[in-house]
Amino acid sequence: MTGGADTALRLASVTVRYGERTALQDVDLEVPRGQFLALAGPNGSGKTTLLRAALGFAVPGVGHLELFGDDVQTLSVVERARRVAWVPQDESPRDDVPVLDYVLYGRYAHLGWLEGEGREDRDAATRALRAVDLLDRADDGILSISGGERQRAILARALVQEAPLVLLDEPTSHLDIAYQIDFLTRVQDLSRERGVTVVAALHDLNLAARYADRIVVLSRGRRVADGAPTAVLSEELLARVWGVVADLRRDPRTGAPYLLPHHLVAAGAAVPGAFLGRGPVHVVAGGGSGAPYLRALTEAGYRVTAGALHLLDSDLEAAEGLGALTAVEVPFAPLGEEVRSKLRTLLDAATAVVVAPFPVGPSNLPNLEEAARCLGRIPILLVRRPAGVEWDFTGGQAHALEERLRLGGAREISDVGEMLAALAPSSGSPPS
Amino acid sequence: MHLPGASAAPRASRLRGSVVWLAVILIVGAGATAVAAAAYYESRSNCAAGTIKVTDDLGRQDCIPANPQRVVVLGPSIMDSMYRLGLRNLVVGVDCYAPDLGGLSDDYSADQIALWNLSSSMCVQTGPTFDVETLIALDPQVVLAATIVSVADVEQISQTYHIPVVMIQPSTLEGVVADEELLGEVFNVPSAAGTLITTLEATLTEAQDLQSRLAANETAFPSVIVTYSTDSDGYWTFGPGTFGDSLIRLASGTSISSNASLPYPELSGEQVLASNPAYLVYGTGFGLNESSFTSAPFWSQLSATQDGNAVGMDSNYFTEPDPTMVLIGLPQLIGILHPGASL
Amino acid sequence: MGDPSATGNHRTRSIRRRSWVLIVLLTLLGLGVFFSPLLGTVQIPAVTVLRILLFRASGGALFPDPCAGAAVPASGCAGLIEIVWDARLSEIMLAVVVGAALGISGGTLQGVFRNPLADPFLLGLSSGGTLGTAVVVVFRVGVGEQNLLLPLFAFVGAIATGAVILAAARSRFGSVETLLLTGVALSSFLSAVLSLLLLYSPSGSLQVDFWLLGNLGSLDWSQDGIAFGVVLIAGALLATYGRELNLLQLGSDVAQSLGVDARRVRVRLILLASIATAAAVAFTGIIGFVGLVSPHVVRRVAGNDYRVVLPGAALVGAGFLLAARDLSLAVFPGTLLPIGIFTSFAGAPFFAYLLFRRRQVSTMGGA
Repeated sequence: MTGGADTALRLASVTVRYGERTALQDVDLEVPRGQFLALAGPNGSGKTTLLRAALGFAVPGVGHLELFGDDVQTLSVVERARRVAWVPQDESPRDDVPVLDYVLYGRYAHLGWLEGEGREDRDAATRALRAVDLLDRADDGILSISGGERQRAILARALVQEAPLVLLDEPTSHLDIAYQIDFLTRVQDLSRERGVTVVAALHDLNLAARYADRIVVLSRGRRVADGAPTAVLSEELLARVWGVVADLRRDPRTGAPYLLPHHLVAAGAAVPGAFLGRGPVHVVAGGGSGAPYLRALTEAGYRVTAGALHLLDSDLEAAEGLGALTAVEVPFAPLGEEVRSKLRTLLDAATAVVVAPFPVGPSNLPNLEEAARCLGRIPILLVRRPAGVEWDFTGGQAHALEERLRLGGAREISDVGEMLAALAPSSGSPPS
Repeated sequence: MHLPGASAAPRASRLRGSVVWLAVILIVGAGATAVAAAAYYESRSNCAAGTIKVTDDLGRQDCIPANPQRVVVLGPSIMDSMYRLGLRNLVVGVDCYAPDLGGLSDDYSADQIALWNLSSSMCVQTGPTFDVETLIALDPQVVLAATIVSVADVEQISQTYHIPVVMIQPSTLEGVVADEELLGEVFNVPSAAGTLITTLEATLTEAQDLQSRLAANETAFPSVIVTYSTDSDGYWTFGPGTFGDSLIRLASGTSISSNASLPYPELSGEQVLASNPAYLVYGTGFGLNESSFTSAPFWSQLSATQDGNAVGMDSNYFTEPDPTMVLIGLPQLIGILHPGASL
Repeated sequence: MGDPSATGNHRTRSIRRRSWVLIVLLTLLGLGVFFSPLLGTVQIPAVTVLRILLFRASGGALFPDPCAGAAVPASGCAGLIEIVWDARLSEIMLAVVVGAALGISGGTLQGVFRNPLADPFLLGLSSGGTLGTAVVVVFRVGVGEQNLLLPLFAFVGAIATGAVILAAARSRFGSVETLLLTGVALSSFLSAVLSLLLLYSPSGSLQVDFWLLGNLGSLDWSQDGIAFGVVLIAGALLATYGRELNLLQLGSDVAQSLGVDARRVRVRLILLASIATAAAVAFTGIIGFVGLVSPHVVRRVAGNDYRVVLPGAALVGAGFLLAARDLSLAVFPGTLLPIGIFTSFAGAPFFAYLLFRRRQVSTMGGA
């Protein structure tokens, strides 16, 4: 990437501070012309600050921003207006200005001192109003139209600015669902058909995934993820950045990923993201047996995954409460293909497996089968079962699988303490 | 799509900004120049034939026609001088608040109106300013103005409508005498002025003689308070630098407010009671009489009121710097403070 | 569906309507100027007034004996001519210039501060101007030229106050709130200094009180010319900022994103409005309500487009002040009361009327 006029927006090591608070920390970003980029992140992550810095409102303490190759701070206010247009989060006009006049405000940067609005300006306004389907409301007052229409009018105003870069700050947060889809579709068309570069701060990840070419995720002022929606969106990201446990699905029509949020990571759980850089440890459990191990691992700084667990299992609640990614199956059903596949994914990513003393039945027997597949690749820790407790409901198959694990090199442990000791690097387990 | 470079719009806006600052500088500069030019021009110009150059009490110079026959007087103090100099018939206009709102009686007492034969048709409406149209209609040849008038306004009259103005604003009792000489010069009545001046100076000398005699006998000057208005907070009186104070001093009295920090201070009831002056003079006229003052704090506890030494005097005698103040006010005050002293 | 000509028609209609409003206002003002010389403290028959006007305007060609048939005072026909031509016309011109200055300044400040209750004296210019006046009066500065020095000091005092505000506006803290607070603080301080000064000079106090009421007087034609010139330049420049003011109503950030350098424009507007206001009150003292009410009158008729509100407010302000003068003379013949009293009499109830008649979705609605 050259960083010249082909790059609509470029941030170079940008740090922005408001007093004591750092809103953006050492952010690098390059947005090529014509791209539709969605900025995502929780409240306070710096999305609005980034947009304001691009507009010249926030001056970076460190680093600089460029619009089409020129430093934002060196451009005059009018020059900036000709390069970048802004659709703010909420604009509450005070006067009942006619929609047409409101849209024509966007022509300011193209008019001379005493110049009135001419044919060219009126034509631009007409085109813009037609593009947002508001031409029949041109004479109505801006306060008399609906919120959705007003947002479209503001978009039209941004259009008549004829700026090659358009920044939108949560443009759909006050719109109902129909208007959200309508608005973002139009914005997408703008990007695809006119080559306008769009950078939109969107809090709705699913909308971002559906319409944007690229998603950049900010967390506490830093860029933590950047790429195509399919590459960026993951359950792990949502748990780590937003503190929400969700399921990732794929939209059958568009192929775009979408997230189904379930609940929050429990308060008091170790903060997702505060991981000590060790790879995830997968816990195979059920019936409440895995909870102490999950907790201990999390507190010791490990990322944990769990599965496969059935809904209503208390271990599932524990796992999700700790922000662990889990393979989940419907209650009492045998593990389906999709769940097994997910379980395999989790195991492939794991650096160790802990098998808790869970009651094994036909529906969760495959957990042991998949665990056995990890033999030799990563350490497997097998918790000794308490004597005298009935645990094998599979007619001996579970016993056999656990024997296979033991013979294959799985280590036996009795409790949490031994587990942590066994996992510690000095104990000679393979590096994470 | 081509990229916008530096465009015409910013240049025009910068130009517009410079024009603005330039405008400010030009305005102030022009104003200052105008003032300087006017002052310079005026100080150099000579008076036309048939007019004489007169310097008034504020140091202003104006060209007055010789023997003016139509005069507008702004201020009862000046009217007093004009009357005593026998020039009443030259006066065609006097100051008063709007004829419909108070009129003559706001500035002139009933006695003065009667004595000087004033009527509201002579009114040139005033507050600190006056009505230009009426002034023009009266066709005055000179305007005599006292302290109550805005200096800027009279100078406006003088320069715009070419009606010369003489400010008669004495600041001391000696100044009152000097003004009679000035008026004698303006109206060409040297003998009348001379007579009046002699009388004034005689009275002043007699007062000074009395003072010397009292000093020689080591008689203390009686303490006195002269109050022109009272309210629930205290007594309004004359402080240092005022005519009231000068009059008291010349009458061989000691004003209890002569060390005040303001020219027209209000002394609290406590202060007056503490000073307990031997004499109290209250200002009458314009609707005020003794009953207007008796509700002042500690009024009945003052020894002046208990001893029967609370006396009323026309307040004009203390506020209007004119011959009446010297010829009538001063002797009356001496009479109060020094009963039995021959003057 | 809609084609460019549809919006073109709208634009033309809107422009035409704006022009009509201004033309009507200008006509009304013209009528006012025409009839005002008929009124004055000295009663002169209307016919005589007209003859005098034509006599002087034609350089003596028309109506060589303008006072024929009219009662003539001591100063003769020359006196009547001087009254009508020099005194009255000068006063009328002053009323027009000052009213226009106050109107356009009030409209500008209402736009800059996005506050419908702003008036030209919001930033404390009145305190500065009054203090300047008081200094001249109390210290007897420049006796002999006080008729020129007083307006100059008043102007400088007002502008100096404005300059302090402007310094605040150009600094990092140039938000609207800072400007208002600075104005309030400055105003209080200057008022205190003024009170202290006047304690030592009761006659000065009397004059300053009178100045604070606002007075129309007649001036030298050269002084009128200066006032006219200053107000014309400042006013004309202000009128060119209509579009920027429209955009500023959307908020500083939005305006900036559209290309308006909000802070710089605000500074210029405040400067120009201060100049116009200071020049106006230098000669007349503080006249209230004109600057506050005039922009609202225009908004009622023509909406909140500042390209119309500013010139319109100038015309309305001029007419308002002139009407106040005429009303004062009609109700209290033979007297010229301080004009500020009359503008308040007329302005207060009118403003109340405007407030009560505001529509729901209206101009300048909300805080």
